[in-house]
Amino acid sequence: MTTLLAARSVSKTYRLGRVDVPVLRGVSVTVAPGEWVAILGASGSGKSTLLHLLGGLDRPDRPERPAKANGRGERHEALDDGQILFEGRSLQHMSQAELDRYRNVSVGFVFQFYHLLPELNVVENAALGAMIRHGRLGYMRRATECRDRARSLLELFGLGQRLRHRPAELSGGERQRVAIARALMNEPAVLLADEPTGNLDRATGAAIIDVIASFRETSKQTIVMVTHDIAVAERADRVLELRDGRVVEAK
Amino acid sequence: MYQALLTRRYLTQKIMPLLAVAAVMLCTAMVLIVWSVMAGFLTSLLASGRTLMGDVIIQWPVAGIPYYEELIEKLEDDPMVAAGAPTLETPGLLGMPDGATKTVQVVGVEGESYDRVTGYADTLWWRPLAEPLPRDRERQDFRLELPEDYELAGEMLTKIDRETGSPRAAVVLGIEASRVNRRAAGGWFEFGWYFMPEQEITLSVLPLSQRGAAITVEARRFPVANEIHTGFYEVDANYALVRLDALQRMLRMHAAQRFEEGFEFGEVIEDEEGEEAFAQPVIVGEYPARVTNILLRGAPGVSPDALRERVREIYQSFAAGHSESSPPAPPADRVYIQTWEERPGVRTLVAAVKKETALVLTLFGFISMTAAFLVCAIFWAMVSEKTRDIGVLRALGASRGGVAWLFIRYGLAIGVIGSILGGIVAHLIVWNINPIHEWMGRALGVYVWDPSIYYFTTIPSEVEPSKAAIVLAGGVLFSVMGAIIPAMRAARLDPVRALRFE
Repeated sequence: MTTLLAARSVSKTYRLGRVDVPVLRGVSVTVAPGEWVAILGASGSGKSTLLHLLGGLDRPDRPERPAKANGRGERHEALDDGQILFEGRSLQHMSQAELDRYRNVSVGFVFQFYHLLPELNVVENAALGAMIRHGRLGYMRRATECRDRARSLLELFGLGQRLRHRPAELSGGERQRVAIARALMNEPAVLLADEPTGNLDRATGAAIIDVIASFRETSKQTIVMVTHDIAVAERADRVLELRDGRVVEAK
Repeated sequence: MYQALLTRRYLTQKIMPLLAVAAVMLCTAMVLIVWSVMAGFLTSLLASGRTLMGDVIIQWPVAGIPYYEELIEKLEDDPMVAAGAPTLETPGLLGMPDGATKTVQVVGVEGESYDRVTGYADTLWWRPLAEPLPRDRERQDFRLELPEDYELAGEMLTKIDRETGSPRAAVVLGIEASRVNRRAAGGWFEFGWYFMPEQEITLSVLPLSQRGAAITVEARRFPVANEIHTGFYEVDANYALVRLDALQRMLRMHAAQRFEEGFEFGEVIEDEEGEEAFAQPVIVGEYPARVTNILLRGAPGVSPDALRERVREIYQSFAAGHSESSPPAPPADRVYIQTWEERPGVRTLVAAVKKETALVLTLFGFISMTAAFLVCAIFWAMVSEKTRDIGVLRALGASRGGVAWLFIRYGLAIGVIGSILGGIVAHLIVWNINPIHEWMGRALGVYVWDPSIYYFTTIPSEVEPSKAAIVLAGGVLFSVMGAIIPAMRAARLDPVRALRFE
């Protein structure tokens, strides 16, 4: 199985005052192209932190001692410890500009609380990633193309009548659909969803998962989704459970 | 692209940036107004000084310069000199028609030559209005139907006596010298219970000996021919112009016969027929008429400094030619030949105004920096408010530089809009500064501009495009400076923490 995105024994510790709080302790995850992986875990288990590391928003801790090669072909794998790899390339070895581009083009984030910009309307929020990607002149040249892409995504998600509305005028489910459209704007290789239904009632949450599942069916979109809801996790191809910063069970 | 879009939205949908725009606008307008008024004040001061004094002055007080007509003729023969005018200055006392007395600077002038050097005729107040305005008609300005002889009398400083029909030497007073002339809010003058050009005044002066001691008090009645309004309060309130020959006579500086030494009037002798008679003096020569100043106007394009050097050379040759005359011309190395700017009072005043302008601008510049701090404070609060949005932008791939540019660009927009509005406000205020000042006086009783302190009867102002550009650029710069620190803070935000920000 080829690997699109992988975490190799990554750890993450946050410092609270004088105390080190380990959040992830040597977590390894691999995601194949077109796969839908759900990361299940209770609150505080480190699942959002793992998603941030996979998305290049945060950096894992440096491994304490680099593993030595044992001469049996395990050198390469041992040297990858503590790394996040995208298409075989370590995010830690990327420059800041490359990491920005990775977040912009290769992954798309969906957050629990939608995080839409209140000053922009639905289309503008959806097209935000394209604006960042192309810069001012580039976006002006591709404005029609970008807006059409944003519109078609929004129409696909049932927001065709809400294009000029502001986030404050939308329901929670509608906001989350705008956030999904925004995440998919630049056709990312991986969609990273952090509790996308966590702020919605069960029916609306189910509808959101249906939207994601339906899109994935047609586009073979790779998805890594963090959730604490087993029903949501069960829609994925594979479920990893995080407990106390470790992957304790894989279904 | 997202920076432009968000800047536009932040500007149009939030109150705080509008406050920042207002702060930048007020600071820019304030500095621009102050600078315009101070610059206008200095320009008016220099222009008035030059108008009143000419470009170069030759001065020899008390004793005066003899043979001045010959000197002026020599000077006017030079291509660098456009015109020359003799004047005689002395302190004097005016007895006004209402019984009041007033100390004045009395200046003896020949109307025609004085006008050629100073443009004196244009400062005469009582002359027909060249282009009457509707407001002049509304208030039935006295000058609308004024007989032309007032103007001529003013120009010549001579008045025809209505009873005898003979010409009389007259005076022209500064329009603020008389208490009955009231300066109206609109800048014109209304006269009270008497009309000055129909009155007579008593002028008293002190003829001085060569050593500056008063010989006697000379008093004489003069008809008032006209009044002058130069806009320079010092002159308008304290100057009295008199026909030169009349003042020379009062000060004993007119041309006079010189008798042989030892002669005493009143000596009784026996004439050829053996009868008693008063002794007659033997005329051995003539005392030439004298003036204390010669004002010179340079030819177009000649700088006052170049003119002064040329005048010095001409004067040296003139003085050398009269070194043996009796009396001799004042020595070239001692006579004062100065440009109008070099005159002690003017030099000090101009330097003081320049320094005051620099000081006031520095102070107001510092005050205007509050705009930078205000923008900084507003942006700091905004970065805090927008922390999660910044996290979202970073999650969507926006670079640190891109986020910083969002806020710097925002500061730039506030600076540009605030400065342009400030420029417009300043322009409107400067343009209407005198009506606004009058309105403040009428409505609020606040008169900030006192002509007796600031020399001019109206507030001068001058907007120079280069200075306006500097002030507007300063407003933009301060706004950007205010935005830089919050922008750096936004750029350094950890995206994960920003996304978790509550």
